Amino acid sequence: QNAPSEPAAIAVGPAAPVNLAAVESIDILKQNQAERTIDQPGNAAPTYRLVNDGTKHYSSLPALEAGVLIQGKAQFPGQTRATTAGEAWRQYRNGPLTMIGGALLLITLSVIAAFYYFRGQIKLHTPLTGRLVERFTPGERALHWSMALSFVSLAISGSIILFGKHVLLPVFGLTLFGWLAFLCKNIHNFIGPVFTVSIILFFIKFVKDNLPSASDIPWLFKFGGLLSGEHVSSGRFNAGEKILFWGAVVGLGLVVSASGFVLDMLVPSLEYSRAIMQISNIVHIVAALLAAAMVMGHIYLGTIGMEGAYASMRTGYVDDAWAKEHHDAWYAEIESGKISRIRSEPAAPHGSSSVSQNA
Amino acid sequence: MLLTRKGDAGARAQNRFSSSLADSLSRALPTMDRRGFLKRSGIGVGAGIAASQLGLIQKAKAAVGMEKSGSKIEVRRTVCTHCSVGCAVDAVVENGVWVRQEPVFDSPINLGAHCAKGAALREHGHGEYRLKYPMKLVNGKYQRISWDQALTEISAKLLEIKKTSGPDSTFFVGSSKHNNEQAALLRKFVSFYGTNNTDHQARICHSTTVAGVSNTWGYGAMTNSYNDMQNSKAAMYIGSNAAEAHPVSMLHMLHAKENGCKMIVVDPRYTRTAAKSDQYVRIRSGSDIPYLYGMLYHIFKNGWEDKQYINDRVYGMEKVKEEVMKWTPEKVEEACGVPEADVFKAAETMAKNRPSTVVWCMGQTQHSIGNAIVRASCLLQLALGNVGKSGGGTNIFRGHDNVQGATDVGPNPDSLPGYYGLATGAWKHWCNVWGVDYEWVKKQYPSQAMMEKSGTTVSRWVDAVLEKSELMDQENSVKAMVFWGHSPNSQTRGLEMKKAFDKLDLLVVIDPYPSATAAMAAMTTEGQELNAKRQVYLLPAATQFETSGSVTASNRSIQWREKVIEPLFESRTDHMIMYQLAEKLGFAKELVAKIKLVPGKGGMMEPEPESMLQEINRGTWTIGYTGQSPDRIKSHMRNMHLFDVKTLKCSGGKDAVTGYDMTGDYFGLPWPCYGTPELKHPGTPNLYDTSKHVMDGGGNFRANFGVEREGVSLLAEDGSHSLGSDITTGYPEFDHILLKKLGWWSDLTEAEQKAAEGKNWKTDLSGGIQRVVMKVHGCYPFGNAKARAVVWNFPDPVPLHREPLFGTRPDLVAKYPTHDDKKTFWRLPTLYKSVQQKNVETKMYEKFPIILTSGRLVEYEGGGEETRSNPWLAELQQENFVEINPKAAADRGIRNGEFVIVSTPTGARIKVKALVTPRVDAGTAFIPFHFSGWWQGKDMKEFYPEGAMPIVRGEAVNTATTYGYDAVTMMQETKTTICNIEKFTA
Amino acid sequence: MARMKFICDSERCIECNGCVTACKNEHEVPWGVNRRRVVTINDGVIGQEKSMSVACMHCSDAPCMAVCPVDCFYRTDEGVVLHNKDICIGCGYCSYACPFGAPQFPSNGTFGLRGKMDKCTFCAGGPEEDGSQAEFEKYGRNRLSEGKLPLCAEMCSTKALLGGDGDVISDIFRNRVVRRGKGSEVWGWGTAYGKAPNPEAKPEKKAETESKS
Ligand SMILES: Nc1nc2c(c(=O)[nH]1)N[C@H]1C(S)=C(S)[C@@H](COP(=O)(O)OP(=O)(O)OC[C@H]3O[C@@H](n4cnc5c(=O)[nH]c(N)nc54)[C@H](O)[C@@H]3O)O[C@H]1N2
Ligand SMILES: Nc1nc2c(c(=O)[nH]1)N[C@H]1C(S)=C(S)[C@@H](COP(=O)(O)OP(=O)(O)OC[C@H]3O[C@@H](n4cnc5c(=O)[nH]c(N)nc54)[C@H](O)[C@@H]3O)O[C@H]1N2
Ligand code: HEM
Ligand code: HEM
Ligand code: SF4
Ligand code: SF4
Ligand code: SF4
Ligand code: SF4
Ligand code: SF4
Ligand SMILES: [Mo]
Repeated sequence: QNAPSEPAAIAVGPAAPVNLAAVESIDILKQNQAERTIDQPGNAAPTYRLVNDGTKHYSSLPALEAGVLIQGKAQFPGQTRATTAGEAWRQYRNGPLTMIGGALLLITLSVIAAFYYFRGQIKLHTPLTGRLVERFTPGERALHWSMALSFVSLAISGSIILFGKHVLLPVFGLTLFGWLAFLCKNIHNFIGPVFTVSIILFFIKFVKDNLPSASDIPWLFKFGGLLSGEHVSSGRFNAGEKILFWGAVVGLGLVVSASGFVLDMLVPSLEYSRAIMQISNIVHIVAALLAAAMVMGHIYLGTIGMEGAYASMRTGYVDDAWAKEHHDAWYAEIESGKISRIRSEPAAPHGSSSVSQNA
Repeated sequence: MLLTRKGDAGARAQNRFSSSLADSLSRALPTMDRRGFLKRSGIGVGAGIAASQLGLIQKAKAAVGMEKSGSKIEVRRTVCTHCSVGCAVDAVVENGVWVRQEPVFDSPINLGAHCAKGAALREHGHGEYRLKYPMKLVNGKYQRISWDQALTEISAKLLEIKKTSGPDSTFFVGSSKHNNEQAALLRKFVSFYGTNNTDHQARICHSTTVAGVSNTWGYGAMTNSYNDMQNSKAAMYIGSNAAEAHPVSMLHMLHAKENGCKMIVVDPRYTRTAAKSDQYVRIRSGSDIPYLYGMLYHIFKNGWEDKQYINDRVYGMEKVKEEVMKWTPEKVEEACGVPEADVFKAAETMAKNRPSTVVWCMGQTQHSIGNAIVRASCLLQLALGNVGKSGGGTNIFRGHDNVQGATDVGPNPDSLPGYYGLATGAWKHWCNVWGVDYEWVKKQYPSQAMMEKSGTTVSRWVDAVLEKSELMDQENSVKAMVFWGHSPNSQTRGLEMKKAFDKLDLLVVIDPYPSATAAMAAMTTEGQELNAKRQVYLLPAATQFETSGSVTASNRSIQWREKVIEPLFESRTDHMIMYQLAEKLGFAKELVAKIKLVPGKGGMMEPEPESMLQEINRGTWTIGYTGQSPDRIKSHMRNMHLFDVKTLKCSGGKDAVTGYDMTGDYFGLPWPCYGTPELKHPGTPNLYDTSKHVMDGGGNFRANFGVEREGVSLLAEDGSHSLGSDITTGYPEFDHILLKKLGWWSDLTEAEQKAAEGKNWKTDLSGGIQRVVMKVHGCYPFGNAKARAVVWNFPDPVPLHREPLFGTRPDLVAKYPTHDDKKTFWRLPTLYKSVQQKNVETKMYEKFPIILTSGRLVEYEGGGEETRSNPWLAELQQENFVEINPKAAADRGIRNGEFVIVSTPTGARIKVKALVTPRVDAGTAFIPFHFSGWWQGKDMKEFYPEGAMPIVRGEAVNTATTYGYDAVTMMQETKTTICNIEKFTA
Repeated sequence: MARMKFICDSERCIECNGCVTACKNEHEVPWGVNRRRVVTINDGVIGQEKSMSVACMHCSDAPCMAVCPVDCFYRTDEGVVLHNKDICIGCGYCSYACPFGAPQFPSNGTFGLRGKMDKCTFCAGGPEEDGSQAEFEKYGRNRLSEGKLPLCAEMCSTKALLGGDGDVISDIFRNRVVRRGKGSEVWGWGTAYGKAPNPEAKPEKKAETESKS
């Protein structure tokens, strides 16, 4: 299975006589072909080293890697030995990345399912007050949703590209799956940049409230009371959300975007060599799957996991009770008037255009 | 698959493809014949062996598509139109469209193999970028006109110029791309127009070879063949980059190498050919003679020369030895840069591995001393006794596909077809053959003197236009140019050429791809002096795939091309155009006096190629173009598989169509194939080979220079003669007198006697003399003499080294100065010493410290307009470049892939990409010459006729090349000049 | 069953590009797509320059095949690695995986727009009916079905390039090697066909089943 890239020799009768004395006295690996030919007329090892090491040689064709005969070797973390970069990449992507990545997503799903099964939805402990406070302005919401929608479509389409052949192809058959994959590929390629733009704007908009604060530490220690149901104090965003913000949106989001831009060939004047594509792909998959796992947890909490959460992002308003219970520090600031209850100017137009306005 | 194809799809197609299959299947049987073995052992593995796997891989029932449509599929056998190797191609034509191209495994020359150009031939069937209809330059733009208008206006203008300035004011540049028939017809055409101002590519290609070699031993051609190189034990390529210029020839060489042949490459550049060598010798461009004499020095010093051979077959070798022994190893190293040990090694290899062969090409010919260089190579081979031996010889690789044929029978300024020259006898001979009155032809010329005076050469047409009439050896300077299959960017001194283009009264370009000339004529430049009355016409010629005809490969084999497709667009065959122009000029009747007319494109009449070949057969006795009748060559083309790859000989077999028995014939009846076709001379695979009977292709050196010189006999010594000759010593050439003296006259039939009376072997149209001499007496028609080591009629009877006019070594100029200036030479003043001295005095070598040489890329051919219009080729070389050594580049801060400016003493500044490579040394740079379309950094796009611009354009090196011409033939000096290279800054 | 392979004999290859244009001509491959190309190592270095022609090697355990997200590759009985352009999504992964740089794309645009992958078919067409117009338009000619071998090898100017049954071509090659007494290495075979110096061994059978997993 591990294809070696040494030159294969076609068995030829008795080996050519070799002048051993001459060979031993020199550093064989340093010889070039001209020198080697003098010592061992039949020996082309220096040539084959060049054939196999992936250097760019002369080719009259202007294509980027036209001069490379066999791509050089590579060894990704965990691989026992170096193989041709393409082979190493193939083994890495088809092996650990597909396997562990797939497992990661499945396990995350299972954990969420188990959590839901055992813990159920997190309910509000206090009755609704009927008084509403604006948690997200329309601009903020538009941003979130454009980010969310693009992410989800990227995750789904990306997953189909990565896992579809194992999961969907046997069911759909080549032609149908081919069409689906084609669709996914194009969706992915074009939505990618939308996601990138979204996270940048999202970052600008939300970074202030996601700066770490003292209250994050107890929140983390108690895991937000998710398991105990205990109430842990938090600002506008709790430590969990901040981790999502910094980890998934800012950190992984940028990594995924950067690698994605390379894969999409959108970085001007970059030489899209195979090596760059292979590495980008691996970085992309790792970051994308980690992000996807985190986001799966978030989506759970943002929908069926927690009572009232979804409405906050849907309508932008939460009940005072909800605010007080989940984000007491933030609520306190609203109560004290530091933050106004309604932040969006009434005149602000709704819809996507507000995104840029608010930005 | 095609083998099982039924119905009308063409029985021919079937046997073409299946023959190789059957062949190879039989090869798999235990009793392999030698050819089979050869192929199996590696030379012919393509389908050859591979096809024996057919049993294993047949998976589909039939090859389909084509068949199902019920369309008409035909296979037409033709020959690659690019280089002189002569690779055969099977063109698959479906309903008149050239749809596919199949290898011809049966061809003993190429065994199915092709280089890039040959493999891309089918593009000619599309011709997307060709000129599609006649055009005329009106107010700086090319406009479409009708054929009728074009021919009428052109002929009217020609007649007017002829009337006012005389016929010598028109120069007809013919073409080595024409087939033999067209080339011969064009020579006749210009003769009837009344001028000798005609020439073709051979001038700037192998003219020095032809002159040098024919003056040494008889014929100016490759002595052996690509195939015969399989018999060589050593081969020295000096000034040939065969891997790029004659790629398929390497098939034979590499096979020879596997059988132990030692290969030496001598070249200023480490070429793709050099990469295959056992020894590479880097010499300074232009210093071949010091190097060759360096080798001869060791040969003589060690007594390696073939003394018996020299005694029997060579005249004047002592004189050469005298000169050679002056070339001590130190002097050799000083002049060519090669240390003694390397020269010695090469000499030893050549001497101890005989038969050894020398291969040369443009590296030797394109110098102001080209004639001397090629002779120095001949001397090496004569000293080693290699000439006239299988595996030896001088394998001079010719250039264009039919440059050999066009040289033999085509438009040369100094000769009628067949090297008959221009003397009265020659004219009478040809008038006789053409069936026209000698007096009538004479009337077309201004005078008998002009009729017998060599014309100007294509290398100097620029001067013939620009030079003052009074300094020329003709009435008026040239006012009208007809480019009939020649590019402008292949001649040197582009800057001045532009002036000449602007000064003309009439320019006619007849070419499938006339665009380089068209653009150059149309472009506007600074300070231009344009002749306001100038008329420019472009006529679309058909390619060689749109007509049939014969073509002579480098090894002198003649092959027949079948017509593949009808002429595309509005193009017409060259011979149709010649005929139609002749009609307008008033000598059509004479032009085809003995030639059959047949309907061609659109039902218009044109001369029939077969009939034209027969006329060549009837007249070309000198070099034996007489035996190759259309029937015989066509039989060979149909039965290629019967010819041995190593010897080119047919061991037996009859052609199914004609019943002609080819037993004993050599493939393509390599000339000389003396006598009438009925005599069945088999052709001559290796020239001057005494080990064979004349009627088996044997021979000896020619007696062309008298029988004695200064009291020394020039004839071969006793015992030296071709096998089975009745005369066992040297003898002169045969004529009616000698025949009578020998008592052989009675061997002629009565009719023959009548025809032969007063004639010699070259002029006896009955062929009787040749028949009797060869068949009855085993003698060689042209006599049996010694080769001339001393060519007393040349400027340097013993070849002398002389430095190029433009060089970087003033120290060597002092020791080896060039010739004196010549007042009129081929009708023009020609400078040597004055130019060289001025260069030394003004220290040109300081301003231009790098030797500039030029040459070929495998993908492109000649001026390149044709190949740069072929997308499959153009993609492979998209920009012109200069090869520059890493050190030279570093000194100038130039990096690989950057644009640089290459400037030369002409003042030209051309812009090319830098290819930083150790192929060249730090003192040398190389630029391929196939580009045009840029003019000193400017894209000439806007000046091209619409729709006829090649895909890739670039700077032509010849825009920048300098003055310098061979002292015998007027060959331009393209291989050695000087330049400076600097970084391009916008 | 024959197992189709390529050998390019670097002692013979002269970088004449005959193989490259033969392929373009036969299959009408567009500008920019190079099913075959020629590489020269140590260009211009005395005694060290070698040229080699390279195209898809039709690997035993083909990485391209393994990474294709839509599994559009297939292998013929003769070991020829082919693909289905109707299904290909032009993702480029095969080209990242291929050690020889064989897969080609009609364009290399932004947003990953490449068009359908094209590569050397060993002159064996594609999944369409042998010799059909549709097959020709998508994959070029199907010479194998006509009982012919790859045109690039058939036309190779020096017969450096051998294409055909691995046993037969290694036989021919062995013959040459014996004669010239050098260079028994066939470049690329180790990479393409695994460690199988003995052409009798048929590792591809095993590899084939593996690559499916
Ligand atoms: N691809 C291709 N093939 C062609 C042609 C073409 O245009 N393209 N043209 C055909 C024609 S017309 C011809 S004539 C032949 C030409 O075929 P070649 O003569 O083989 O080709 P060139 O590249 O012109 O020159 C050969 C070599 O001469 C070397 N050279 C330069 N100066 C010197 C010198 O002073 N001494 C020596 N010994 N060598 C020197 C150059 O470095 C070069 O490598 O090719 C024919 N074949
Ligand atoms: N600097 C430099 N200059 C050189 C050389 C060099 O090495 N260095 N080499 C020299 C040599 S050896 C040569 S041979 C010349 C070659 O130079 P040219 O012969 O001028 O170059 P080509 O472009 O091949 O010219 C042939 C022309 O004939 C046309 N043609 C093809 N077939 C036909 C046909 O059937 N009928 C007609 N009417 N036309 C046809 C083609 O389209 C093309 O325009 O260049 C010479 N110039
Ligand atoms: C499609 C399903 C999604 C739903 C239903 C959803 C729902 C929500 C809800 C309800 C909130 C508000 C939480 C609060 O009020 O504190 C929220 C905030 C947030 N969501 Fe989502 N979301 C989804 C997808 C995503 C995705 C794909 C991402 C990231 C890539 C994301 C990142 C965030 C972030 C960063 C916040 C704000 C927290 C902060 O700034 O720290 N969401 N989401
Ligand atoms: C953040 C969410 C994203 C996720 C979850 C994601 C996921 C994936 C996955 C799983 C793959 C398949 C990898 C494989 O099969 O080897 C992939 C490929 C790709 N991704 Fe993403 N990706 C995301 C964002 C982006 C972004 C932001 C871009 C571009 C700006 C992008 C561009 C690409 C490209 C170009 C490919 C290659 C696919 C092809 O061209 O066919 N992705 N992505
Ligand atoms: S260009 Fe010369 S070597 Fe190449 S295919 Fe044509 S004839 Fe053969
Ligand atoms: S050479 Fe490349 S494209 Fe061809 S089978 Fe191997 S991996 Fe696939
Ligand atoms: S480009 Fe096409 S063939 Fe290649 S991996 Fe992607 S889908 Fe498969
Ligand atoms: S085998 Fe056919 S498709 Fe492949 S490179 Fe050769 S000619 Fe092209
Ligand atoms: S045709 Fe043959 S010799 Fe020419 S480049 Fe291709 S493999 Fe090499
Ligand atoms: Mo030439």
